[in-house]
Amino acid sequence: MWSRFCFKILFFSALQTTLLATELASPDFEKDVRPILEKNCLQCHGASAPQAQLDLRTSESLLAGGKSGSALVPGASSKSLLVSKVISGSMPPGEGRLSDEEISLIRLWIDRQGTQTRLVSVTEKDVLPIFQMHCVNCHGKSKQEGGLDLTTQASRLTGGDSGPVLIPGKPGKSLLYARVLAREMPPLDEIRPPTTAEVETLRHWIEAGAPADSPSGAQVQEPALSQEDRDFWSFCPPQRPEVPNVRQQDLVRNPIDAFLLRQLEAKDLSFSPEAEPHVLLRRAYLDLTGMPPTPAETQAYLEDQRAPAYEDLIDRLLNSSHYGERWAQYWLDLAGYTDSEGIVDEDKVRPHAWRYRDYVIRALNSDTPYDRFLTEQLAGDELVDYKKEEKVTQDLIDILAATGFLRLTTDGTYAQPNRSLQDKMDVIADEMQVLGSSVMGLTVGCARCHDHKYDPLTQREYYSLSAIFQTALDPYDWRPPTERVLYRALESEVKAVESHNAPLKTQLQKLEAELEKEALPFKEKFLKEALASLPKDVREDLKAVTATPKDKRTGLQRYLSRKFKDVVDPSYAVLGDRFPEFKKSAAEPQKSIEHIRNVKYGSETNFKDKTKLLLKPGIRALYDMGGEPSPTYLLKRGQAQSVGERVYPSVPAVLNRSGLKPYRPVKVSGRDTSGNRLGFARWLTQPNHPLTSRVKVNRIWAHHFGRTLVTSPGNFGRTGSKPSHPQLLDWLATEFVARGWSLKAMHRLIMTSTAFRQTSEVGQRSREGDPENLLLSRMPLRRLDAEALHDSVLQVTGRLDTTPFGIPVAVEEKPSGEVVAEATEKGWRRAVYLLKRRRMPVSALEAFDYPVMMPNCDERRQSTVVVQALQLMNSELMRSHASYLAGRLMDRAPGDTEKQVEDLYLRVLTRYPRIDEKQRILASLDILSEEWKAHLEQKNEAGPRGPTAQWSALSSVALTLLNSAEFLYID
Amino acid sequence: MTRYRPRGPGTRRDFFSRIGDGLHGAALAYLLQQDLLASTKSDQPAPRFDLKPRSPHFEPKAQSVIHLFMNGGPSQVDLFDPKPTLDRMAGAAAPRDLLNQIENMDQVGTLMPSPYEFSRHGKCGMELSELLPHTGKVVDDITMIRSMYGEHFNHEPSINLFHTGRLISGRPTLGAWVTYALGTENNNLPGYVVLDDKNLPVNGIQNWQSGWLPPVFQGTRFREKHPAVLNLSPKQELPNPLVEAERSLLSSLDQAHRRDRPWQPDLDARISSYELAARMQLAASDALDLSQESEATKEMYGLNNEVTASYGRRCLMARRLIERGVRFVQIFIEYQIWDNHSNLKKNLEYCCGKTDQPSAALVQDLKQRGLLENTLVIWGGEFGRMPISQVRAGAEVGRDHGPDGFSMWMAGGGVKAGYIHGATDDIGHKAVQDRVSVHDFHATFLHQMGLDHRKLVYHRHGLEERLTDQYPARVIEEILA
Repeated sequence: MWSRFCFKILFFSALQTTLLATELASPDFEKDVRPILEKNCLQCHGASAPQAQLDLRTSESLLAGGKSGSALVPGASSKSLLVSKVISGSMPPGEGRLSDEEISLIRLWIDRQGTQTRLVSVTEKDVLPIFQMHCVNCHGKSKQEGGLDLTTQASRLTGGDSGPVLIPGKPGKSLLYARVLAREMPPLDEIRPPTTAEVETLRHWIEAGAPADSPSGAQVQEPALSQEDRDFWSFCPPQRPEVPNVRQQDLVRNPIDAFLLRQLEAKDLSFSPEAEPHVLLRRAYLDLTGMPPTPAETQAYLEDQRAPAYEDLIDRLLNSSHYGERWAQYWLDLAGYTDSEGIVDEDKVRPHAWRYRDYVIRALNSDTPYDRFLTEQLAGDELVDYKKEEKVTQDLIDILAATGFLRLTTDGTYAQPNRSLQDKMDVIADEMQVLGSSVMGLTVGCARCHDHKYDPLTQREYYSLSAIFQTALDPYDWRPPTERVLYRALESEVKAVESHNAPLKTQLQKLEAELEKEALPFKEKFLKEALASLPKDVREDLKAVTATPKDKRTGLQRYLSRKFKDVVDPSYAVLGDRFPEFKKSAAEPQKSIEHIRNVKYGSETNFKDKTKLLLKPGIRALYDMGGEPSPTYLLKRGQAQSVGERVYPSVPAVLNRSGLKPYRPVKVSGRDTSGNRLGFARWLTQPNHPLTSRVKVNRIWAHHFGRTLVTSPGNFGRTGSKPSHPQLLDWLATEFVARGWSLKAMHRLIMTSTAFRQTSEVGQRSREGDPENLLLSRMPLRRLDAEALHDSVLQVTGRLDTTPFGIPVAVEEKPSGEVVAEATEKGWRRAVYLLKRRRMPVSALEAFDYPVMMPNCDERRQSTVVVQALQLMNSELMRSHASYLAGRLMDRAPGDTEKQVEDLYLRVLTRYPRIDEKQRILASLDILSEEWKAHLEQKNEAGPRGPTAQWSALSSVALTLLNSAEFLYID
Repeated sequence: MTRYRPRGPGTRRDFFSRIGDGLHGAALAYLLQQDLLASTKSDQPAPRFDLKPRSPHFEPKAQSVIHLFMNGGPSQVDLFDPKPTLDRMAGAAAPRDLLNQIENMDQVGTLMPSPYEFSRHGKCGMELSELLPHTGKVVDDITMIRSMYGEHFNHEPSINLFHTGRLISGRPTLGAWVTYALGTENNNLPGYVVLDDKNLPVNGIQNWQSGWLPPVFQGTRFREKHPAVLNLSPKQELPNPLVEAERSLLSSLDQAHRRDRPWQPDLDARISSYELAARMQLAASDALDLSQESEATKEMYGLNNEVTASYGRRCLMARRLIERGVRFVQIFIEYQIWDNHSNLKKNLEYCCGKTDQPSAALVQDLKQRGLLENTLVIWGGEFGRMPISQVRAGAEVGRDHGPDGFSMWMAGGGVKAGYIHGATDDIGHKAVQDRVSVHDFHATFLHQMGLDHRKLVYHRHGLEERLTDQYPARVIEEILA
């Protein structure tokens, strides 16, 4: 039974070309159904006195039915008497039976009845999504196959190479409809056909004269905003407040202290005392560089008696190249930086994304003003004439790489680019959410499907904002992420890659030719076998196909070769499955080819192996695609198929206020870009923009004080929190702008305040008067975040490779299931440089709250979970780091255990041990040493047991210190 | 309901001040029950997230859940949903609306009946395919839903939908929601355990992440291969006294550190997390030690048969874990073995051979131990398959993804026994009668745990997030006992 089915199935699919052409997707009663009934039924059910009073001659009489009721239920063939009778074989009586094809045709006709009742007026808006979902990828803005463009009414009427395709009023004569109906279009092997209902809509539209919607030139006026909305604090530009007078002027190092003290004094509180020098030192290092100081730096600082030693320290750290590496990660969280596309399980690596990460580090290290920083990221491609620029410089690369900012959300559209319009819409929506939460402090995503429930943000405004980006992210003229790459690179880099790859490519060609030669006889055998199992007609056709060179094949032949690609041109995998001997002989060359090709995680991601091809250098950028962008529409409920009114680029009305220059595109003559995004960047970075500076200073504050002034940093709207210190926030925002949007100036200001220099010890007054520390009456105790912990462990154990920039460090999954970064020759790189693949987060980072980017992360959570303890105490890498450190301690002070312990404390905890601590450690060392010795003896270890036991004992102590709360927390 | 809101700071401070008062024993016991104290940055009462048992919204039917997730999409018309009409229409062209949802457009075949015979089982007479003889023995304990429908034709989004309620990734999973709501009954084991195959399933670790819920609620992966729990002990096995010496040094350092820093609750939480780590080493080893089981039990789960042993072991572990108070256990299968695009016969027989006996044994075993009443067992994949064939040259036919109608079953935990709910159309393509959305399933699932899907919320950026989000979702009252 099974083989019969198989045959039948193959047979049918082989004939599908012909079948589909004649098969009646939209069967007509007179033309299609009646002949079947005539042949089989009308003998008894056609006369004037039909059997069982059932007349099957017209569709009306079918519906009227006979003795047993109606013969059909329109739209539901499964409930129709006619169908159940012929399927069960009880009709027609006797030997005769309707063929399956005849039955399915009748069923289709009945099933279609329900949808034909809809005759309400159909307009262009109703058919637009059909074109958008099924047609415009090939007949649209950048591709006009067959000379046909279906994006506008004019171009539809013009038609293509085969003449006009749309004859208003005449669906039958409209090629557009006829080819869809015949299932010739869209090509069934690539794009899903429209549904029955959609085909009907198309027909009704053409029947109705194919009415076009009148183009509305101007944006529909939004309803006036209420005064309450306009007056909401975060929608009004920040006003520079007076610096308050406080009683304890001696504690005021800068206005930050005055604003904080005013609230503290109101509760009869004050700041806590200044922290000890080594505490401040460690705090400053970890805040600015993400790692503690080296012993030499600690000693030098603690001995520096000059008054401005602390201020100098801050300046020194701000100039450290490690500053950019530390602070880049905060920004990368906001941008949702990852090195893989997500969505599809393959989780393809983004081979070029790292240039964006490097851009951010460089920009922060050079203190690029924040307004410029944003402008480069939103519209870097519109700032330069990169198409004409002949010499590629690092600056040019950086400014283009900067636009990677809105290219970082999950994007699975590379898998089957033509498949789903909704997927493309989702990518764009995610980018809008990144933009809103990271920079604007607005939950714009809430207005995607309906007007914002709380904030004065309509759905129309959401799509208008999105329209600004349509020249680069056009859902109707989509480029999958793999194709959105600008191949601009330094000449030296291009040359290096080319000369590296040239011999490898030769080798590759040779290997491939050999393999193909090997495969040839098997392919012939395979073809013979495969053809034998096919019906004769198809067999002859396919033989003709394989005999014709690829470029000489007719349209039908091309179709057949696609349809039967595994027969015509079977892959090596298919061949190998069929012929084990080929599988065996091909294994070796295939392995070599794969090695050289170096495709890992779906991409060419060469991580420096000299025996593999290097990737062609490129930039993952967002750039204007030139020409007129496709129109943007409001999508009802956010659904691609529910097209609403057309919208035009603009910014939300509540932010378009007097005193602020309105949004307008900045078009540069002679360049094929709309200037939409550059205009938006200019609008966003105006000095008195209500949100831009506030949102940013709130975040800077958070990374120094462990808490935000507005506790919902991605949401400054109505459902967000009110600032705890509104005047301080506005003072900081205006100060930020006044200091030329300099981030480093803000760090210096904050870190040199009295507030920042407080101890974290909880004094009695502070605890009672400010239990939650909302007023900052002390410095909060903060845990190291994932990256700071990772990097600090490497730094203090002497295993940090400080190499900056470049392609990400590969990560691998150990047999234990732990995901770790690969070691370099010099050790391990900083966390910011590790490959961030969504499916393979590095275990050590994940355990300490490295976030899932969805689509970004606008605030990290901190947890204390058991996996952290297990990770730090038991992981192979942690134990190895601890042993390495212990070994170096012993090298530096051979035989001097006390010195080793002092050195250990200085490295790990940035201080010397107290006497009681030293004694406790020494006592523990003795115990541990004995235990290790016993262990080594029991295992009958070959090496010297005494020294090994001492080393192991010191390793245990080092591991313990790396696990200690003092190391893990910043006082 | 305010009960599930994070608690106010007063409670927390009071508690820690009790430690200072010397109520060490009771306080410590309390501490041991919790895994986490989130340090928060908020001007609202500081939320606290832990695994302490919490009471549900109303009397629950199920205390714990075992979710047998069948990645890939098992074919309903070949297993659970007999369609005689398909036999009669074999070879007919696919309806247009079916084609509109096909994943592989270049491999479209024609209507294809199941090659398998169906027969009636149990007192209820539920029809099942010949591939599921063992499931046949427990039909009188299960509810079969034949009218599930999804929203997407691809695995990744559909799996997201099934586990998190949305097609996109990054949201909390079912297990995370349940442990967030209810905590766990065993303070030596995680509340949400994932029993993972030799290789990761599609979507990898995203299948058990906590999304924006605190990480304490994410699933802990107990792997099939050694080591079962990542870093549960060092790779190099160390003698106990040595491990103890390391621990006691750390403990003394941390205690001293804490003494110098009173009123820092995070530090106490951290110390307790190290203590839990130590206890978990013992508890997890015990829970996973199947040598404690009788031969009869091992035989029942198919542990002595190579084909069933791997899945059987995990089903048995699942029972042992929920016996010990673990709230939510999920069993995944590597990759997506049910994704039978080609070679339907061979592959389906492999999948059923691997899972049929252990799944049925789990239901029987839970029942004989009186655990089925309080345990909800769920069997199903992210979607079903198409009633048409998928044709790939060089391979036998298979079936493409079918999200519009598929079957899944549940047992115990207050669902009806020996009951069939809903139906697909007569070719088995689309759910037509008593349709059940994934959101309906989620609402029902929470309901059995004593939770109202509209009230189980998490406050995030001023918004109330829910498992069922803004979707219409209803508890499927019809399947409740």
